[in-house]
Amino acid sequence: MKLKPDMLKGFLMVGSTFNLRQWVSVGMALLLSWTTVACGGSVPEKSAQGGGQLASPTRVKSNPAQEATAIADGKYDVQQATYNDGNGEYTLFLLNTPPGVSANFRSTKLQMAQLTPEETSAAQNPYLQVKNGQPALHISKDFKLEYVHNVVEQAQNPQTGQVEQRVVRQESNFWSPFAGAIAGQVIGNMLFRPQYYVPPLYQSGGGGLSGYGGYGNSYGQATSSYRERYNQPPLVERNRTAYRTTQRRTIGSGSVSQPPRSNFNSSFSQRSTGKGFGSSNLDTSRPSSGSYRRSPSSGFGSGRSSSFGSGRSSSGGRRR
Amino acid sequence: MSSWRDRINQFSGGTRYVVCRLFLHLEGNQVAPLLGVLNQAALIADEAEGDMQSLGEELEQVCKSLLESDVYWRSVANEGDVFWDEGEAGNFVNELFTDSAQRYLSQPDLSVVSNQANDPLVVPITQNIIVMLTVAYEGEVPELESDLSNMDALKAGLKALINLHYQNSLRAVQIHFSPAQLGDELPPDQILVNFPELIPL
Repeated sequence: MKLKPDMLKGFLMVGSTFNLRQWVSVGMALLLSWTTVACGGSVPEKSAQGGGQLASPTRVKSNPAQEATAIADGKYDVQQATYNDGNGEYTLFLLNTPPGVSANFRSTKLQMAQLTPEETSAAQNPYLQVKNGQPALHISKDFKLEYVHNVVEQAQNPQTGQVEQRVVRQESNFWSPFAGAIAGQVIGNMLFRPQYYVPPLYQSGGGGLSGYGGYGNSYGQATSSYRERYNQPPLVERNRTAYRTTQRRTIGSGSVSQPPRSNFNSSFSQRSTGKGFGSSNLDTSRPSSGSYRRSPSSGFGSGRSSSFGSGRSSSGGRRR
Repeated sequence: MSSWRDRINQFSGGTRYVVCRLFLHLEGNQVAPLLGVLNQAALIADEAEGDMQSLGEELEQVCKSLLESDVYWRSVANEGDVFWDEGEAGNFVNELFTDSAQRYLSQPDLSVVSNQANDPLVVPITQNIIVMLTVAYEGEVPELESDLSNMDALKAGLKALINLHYQNSLRAVQIHFSPAQLGDELPPDQILVNFPELIPL
């Protein structure tokens, strides 16, 4: 977008009833700020190209990741909150959302804090505070989140013979993160600052959960404090981590059955033996809007003529 | 143009996911002990049932051993992509697992088992090992998002992989290796056929 001279003239004509000098100075200030932004913006790109190594993707989806419902900064009253330990997602039902914004708020990265004594004495309802895009749920000490527990069972896939995890059923329970005396004694005033919390070890039955399993300034800190306490990963992490291995796993033992040792002679075969395993907690169940194909020019890699994957054209061609 | 969209996504608060894969081929008489480290990693991963924390620790061990045996590095290749959508990144991770796994035999071919009784008690020692590391992480790591086909870049890349574990930004870890165990061999012609993208260091 460039300021055309005749456009500028038009502005000046309108402004001529006022002070002409004022308009010129305002216009120059605008122009200066625009060029400053433009220059500042182009710097990282230039340095990246100069290095010849950093490559930014050409194909970027128009909408960002859907891990949280987009919501404007502000304060919203909360009527109901649900936590699902299958994917770690909080679902909040908000009361005073602006028109056009869904009352259902979903997020996997939600901070929580206890209402301060002043707020409690003022009979403050639970509320969601969004600051710089970071949601934080402020709740009273006895507030109960609905807790959806996924009962997972290991089952053998009859078609592939692989052991996989399946959700057998869901149980409904309650979780009140700030109930219980221990919490208050340990961290005192830190309860009133928004932090990440991980629910405690799940106990079946309708008793409900109180307190928390771990907390921290980041989600990673919260899970690692859970690990220190229980010496195992939180249920959510286990549920949403997909483990894959090329070895055959057997049910029950949880370990891999060792294949019989063969006197394998690789010269008879096209391929040598190998092993592979891996875990991912990326959620692939989310519907990605629009069909996606990797464009041949995106990404990075060791730049040979066709070394980007098998037979894909290299990233080198994209650099101008 | 792309960098503009990149920046817009950054401003709008989207998470940047990077998926990258690294192939490393080691050659020499002394590479076989590395199979011990790799098999140990596989065993621990199975015992932990794929817990990300222990996989990150095993990734660190593997990277450390690879860094220690840098004199045996022969060829390398890497590739990767940047995503702004979690589902797409996850799909790409799965795609890479399948692609890595089809480069070797996961089930030994038992039809060529020779008569065990008459065999001398000798196992052939492999001269070649290929390690394939795939990770997905959040954020931006320039050391990994580049061409790693030279010694210095590769060293920096492996160190960056270790750091990712301590930054808690790993979202996926995969370790593949061939051959599977001591006694199996990986002849050079198979490397040419099954790993065509490798670039000599």
